[in-house]
Amino acid sequence: MDWFPLRLSLQVSLLATALTVAAGVPLAWLLGKRRFPGRDLLGAAILAPLVLPPTVLGYYLLVLIARGGPIGGLLDRLGIELAFTWHAAVLAGCLGSLPLLVRSVQAGFETVDERLEQAARTLGRTEASIFFTITLPLAWRAVVAGTGLAFARAFGDFGMTLMVAGNIPGRTQTLPLAIYDRVQANQMPEANVLALVAVGVVVAVLFGVGRWARVRY
Amino acid sequence: MGGGYHARRLAGLLVALLAIGAPGLAGPRPAQPQSRPALTVFAAADLAFALEEIAAGFERIHDVTVTLVLGSTGHLAQQIAHGAPADVFFAADESFVDDLTRRGAIIPETRALYARGRLVLATRADRGPRLTDLRDLAAPGIRRVAIANPRHAPYGRAAEEALRAAGIWDAVASKLVFGENIRHALQFLETGGVEAAIIALSLARVPGIEHVLIDAALHTPLNQAAGVVTRSRDPGRALAFIEHVNGPQGRPIMKKYGFLLPGEF
Repeated sequence: MDWFPLRLSLQVSLLATALTVAAGVPLAWLLGKRRFPGRDLLGAAILAPLVLPPTVLGYYLLVLIARGGPIGGLLDRLGIELAFTWHAAVLAGCLGSLPLLVRSVQAGFETVDERLEQAARTLGRTEASIFFTITLPLAWRAVVAGTGLAFARAFGDFGMTLMVAGNIPGRTQTLPLAIYDRVQANQMPEANVLALVAVGVVVAVLFGVGRWARVRY
Repeated sequence: MGGGYHARRLAGLLVALLAIGAPGLAGPRPAQPQSRPALTVFAAADLAFALEEIAAGFERIHDVTVTLVLGSTGHLAQQIAHGAPADVFFAADESFVDDLTRRGAIIPETRALYARGRLVLATRADRGPRLTDLRDLAAPGIRRVAIANPRHAPYGRAAEEALRAAGIWDAVASKLVFGENIRHALQFLETGGVEAAIIALSLARVPGIEHVLIDAALHTPLNQAAGVVTRSRDPGRALAFIEHVNGPQGRPIMKKYGFLLPGEF
């Protein structure tokens, strides 16, 4: 039994989760706490990957990061390869996770009583200070819940990863791709074990995060 | 219960996530300690069994690790055109190698014919009488027939040609189930989802499956070619792999799996 796919999936989804949190929390704050032109459009654009077919996302992502593409061509000149490496799988994971995280965190930020933030503002606190001492601490459960969902989504990504990272055993074959591969080759016992492991990891993470932060999904 | 406590808790979570994920940023972690060189072979799915056996021999002789990536020829060609990290490409139809050569993705001098494939009509041994003729597929007792997707898999295209040439396309078209590649079509049959499948002879000798050859005159010959990918970091070893398949070590194995070999057709 080759456990590389599990290891790779954990590595890819943890990194994707970290990047998603780093990008998603500021976005959620913008959407939840600021008024600016184009806010609804930004919200819709971030939500779109949740409902678009993975093939559409995978196609665009591949066109962008393939060697001939606008981003891929630029990176190629710098000697960096993205398409068909495991980094591409991280990118796919981020794209799928972002809407889940932003939705969850934005909802958390919106429930923070604005009068508390206003009071701090009248006391001369900076926006950054308000965010870190009032908004974020009061909404931390939502951030943790969103992080758990983001991890689970990145861990389970299949369609996008298949298209942008390929299915190369020992290099880009994540757990979901390994299951697909074993089923195609009629290696059902192995597919069974891997599928059970996938369910186990996702349920354990969601249950653990839920218990720890006392949130319900 | 100060807010600072939760903020610290949250910061701790973020740091932990980064700490676990970030070492990966340094670079890909290969499956095996990379003391020995690696060769990535993109190969048409009909080669699943044959190349696995041949690659094992090549690994012993050349002290390399061979990674086989199996799929439909069309999919693999598309990935190579987009820069996938393959060293060698074994197509189930020479036209895909020629197309990649024209696009600069395969080194022209390395192109080599390595086999001609044969189609078989396959059924499960435990499911009623064995089919002996392609025309039997038109019978009402056969509800589902698996082939590889003709759009990007050469064996699927050949299967469609054969069904048309046999004059039963209209009767069979609505029964067809497309596998992603020819190995996938076999899996449909093995798991009992279909009553019959048109697959590669090279995959047909598996337990519980019976097969009969389909007249090769019914379809364009499946002339299979290989080539070294232009971006290969080790084109010398990649070429050595093609020569190994076409050499005294590879040929008997290819023959065992039912391929016709260069010089025989």
